[in-house]
Amino acid sequence: MIVAERLRKTFPGKGKDKTPVIAVDDVGFTAHDGQITGLLGPNGAGKTTTLRMLYTLMKPEGGRVLVDGVDAAADPERVRRSLGVLPDARGVYKRLTARENIAYFGQLHGMDKAAIAARTARLAAALQMEDFLDRATEGFSQGQRTKTAIARALVHDPRNVILDEPTNGLDVMTTRGLRGFLKELREEGRCVIFSSHIMQEVAALCDRIVVIAHGRVVAQGTTDELRQAAGEASLEDAFVKLIGSEEGLHA
Amino acid sequence: MNKTGFLGGMFTVMRKELRDFARDRRTFLLTLFSAPLIYPLLFLGMGKLTELRTSTQLEKTLELPVVGMEHAPNLVAHLRSQGIHAKAAPADVEARILAQQEDLALVIGEDFARDWRAGRPAKVELVTDTTRRSGDVAVARVRGALAGYGASVGSLRLLARGIDPMVAAPVSVGTRDLATPEAKRGILLSFVLPLIMTLFAFIGGSHLAMDTTAGERERQSLEPLLATPVSRGALVSGKMLASALLGLASMLLILVSFKVSAGLAGGMARSLDVSLLAMAKLLLILLPLVLIGTALLTCLAASAKSMKEAQSHIVWLMLLPMLPAYALMAYPMKDTALWQYAVPFLSQNQLLVKVTRGEVPSAEQWTVYLAASLGLALLLWLAAVWRYRQEKLAISA
Repeated sequence: MIVAERLRKTFPGKGKDKTPVIAVDDVGFTAHDGQITGLLGPNGAGKTTTLRMLYTLMKPEGGRVLVDGVDAAADPERVRRSLGVLPDARGVYKRLTARENIAYFGQLHGMDKAAIAARTARLAAALQMEDFLDRATEGFSQGQRTKTAIARALVHDPRNVILDEPTNGLDVMTTRGLRGFLKELREEGRCVIFSSHIMQEVAALCDRIVVIAHGRVVAQGTTDELRQAAGEASLEDAFVKLIGSEEGLHA
Repeated sequence: MNKTGFLGGMFTVMRKELRDFARDRRTFLLTLFSAPLIYPLLFLGMGKLTELRTSTQLEKTLELPVVGMEHAPNLVAHLRSQGIHAKAAPADVEARILAQQEDLALVIGEDFARDWRAGRPAKVELVTDTTRRSGDVAVARVRGALAGYGASVGSLRLLARGIDPMVAAPVSVGTRDLATPEAKRGILLSFVLPLIMTLFAFIGGSHLAMDTTAGERERQSLEPLLATPVSRGALVSGKMLASALLGLASMLLILVSFKVSAGLAGGMARSLDVSLLAMAKLLLILLPLVLIGTALLTCLAASAKSMKEAQSHIVWLMLLPMLPAYALMAYPMKDTALWQYAVPFLSQNQLLVKVTRGEVPSAEQWTVYLAASLGLALLLWLAAVWRYRQEKLAISA
């Protein structure tokens, strides 16, 4: 379970006016085990910065993050151990094969060879990546790279999974496969958070939606709750009304 | 739950970086073998050039343009006996010297014969451009021949007047050169060899050090790495260890090549101490420099916004090892003062020269050197770890 409480993060301003840029103003939500929680918001709303604070890459200026009850500021290494993270940056080592990329992260998590091999086999089957598992990742398609990055993020069998726009740049078939995989993670009882700027995707997949705009949570709940909150019959209208613009509505 | 210790994480990162780098065949081979291949070329080439200069300028007959040859036929004959053939100088001889078409000329004054007969100092002039080094050997030869002629004629004149020529030589100045012939011949190599060794020890592994930090971020794989439980200190230490090992391997190859090419090349290269003990000492001298270079480059790469920015540091870094060499050329210093062994680059220079000349650095010199250089490496390592802990490291521009 991941709890974010009143997170705030600013960056020093550049150029002539030194006014700080407020990336995340006030974001708080709870992501439960066995559920998929979607962070939905237009580009630049603060989704990536929020996620970066969740996986301890950045320290929040205000508020705190609890992962399975552990304060991320107090014990960041323990928190990272229980997280599987697909960041916005998802470069793979192009001179290593997909299997070696995955094994490297397994070793960094302190796993032994047998455990890594077993887990790689499971993930490769679930993500349908057996046919390119032993190829050097140079020349991989976007989908193959993303699958490799997801597999290496989950090699240590984490309870909590954070994915930053996992379907970015993927074709329809790969996206469908990935959705199936996320549902499997939910069936296994994991806590899954993923961010997206595509409303349809979030609506199709998530148990709970957190709508973020301008660094703030403007609404959260199930799709029904969001429609009620906005007083609109369709989710699309509700979304537009909540974030105050049509930005990011279509993929 | 799985635990990753500092050392476990560090060695995992190190192994991965070395494997990744070794698969980049061309860069790998260039990094390891460019310096070792330069050595034999340098030895053979420089040995050949020096020999060429000596044989052409010292032993070959020297054609000397002389103005006023007819005034001093005896002097001309004496010069000829010394292998210096006088020829009538063209009218524009000074211009020709300035244009470097001639190295030097001799001007015999019109009054030479009259002064000579009267027993007054007869005037000859050597015309040369002292800022051009190519004429050095020829000028020294002519000057020597003229001095010899003057001295012998002077002695004869004294004898003719019944005076022992010894009377006119109250002081006899001789030089006993204590430099071993080996050391004399090794002067040139003693300048170039330490320079190449320090340069390659310092930034020979620069590619790996920068690539694993600035390059990793640019390829978008640093952020996932930082999301693993391995501490940042272990991550950066593993990367630096990989780079230092590569630097060490390249040092070993350089020393092997040094040993082999010193054996191949004749002449002055023979004078260098290339015993296994000397090799071990050279390695001990260069090791702290490898660590300093790796840590400094990692620091710079972690602070740089891009790989391009990181690489642009190389230019001034390359100049650093050369500074003491140039400083010593301008202001030669004895290598006895202890403080010299605490100054980076100067200390390596002094120690490398000492060891290749076959001298033994004292225990204090070793202690000061190792303490100062390893201390600096440690400081830079701490700085690199500190840079890695900073938040902005992960975020690629």
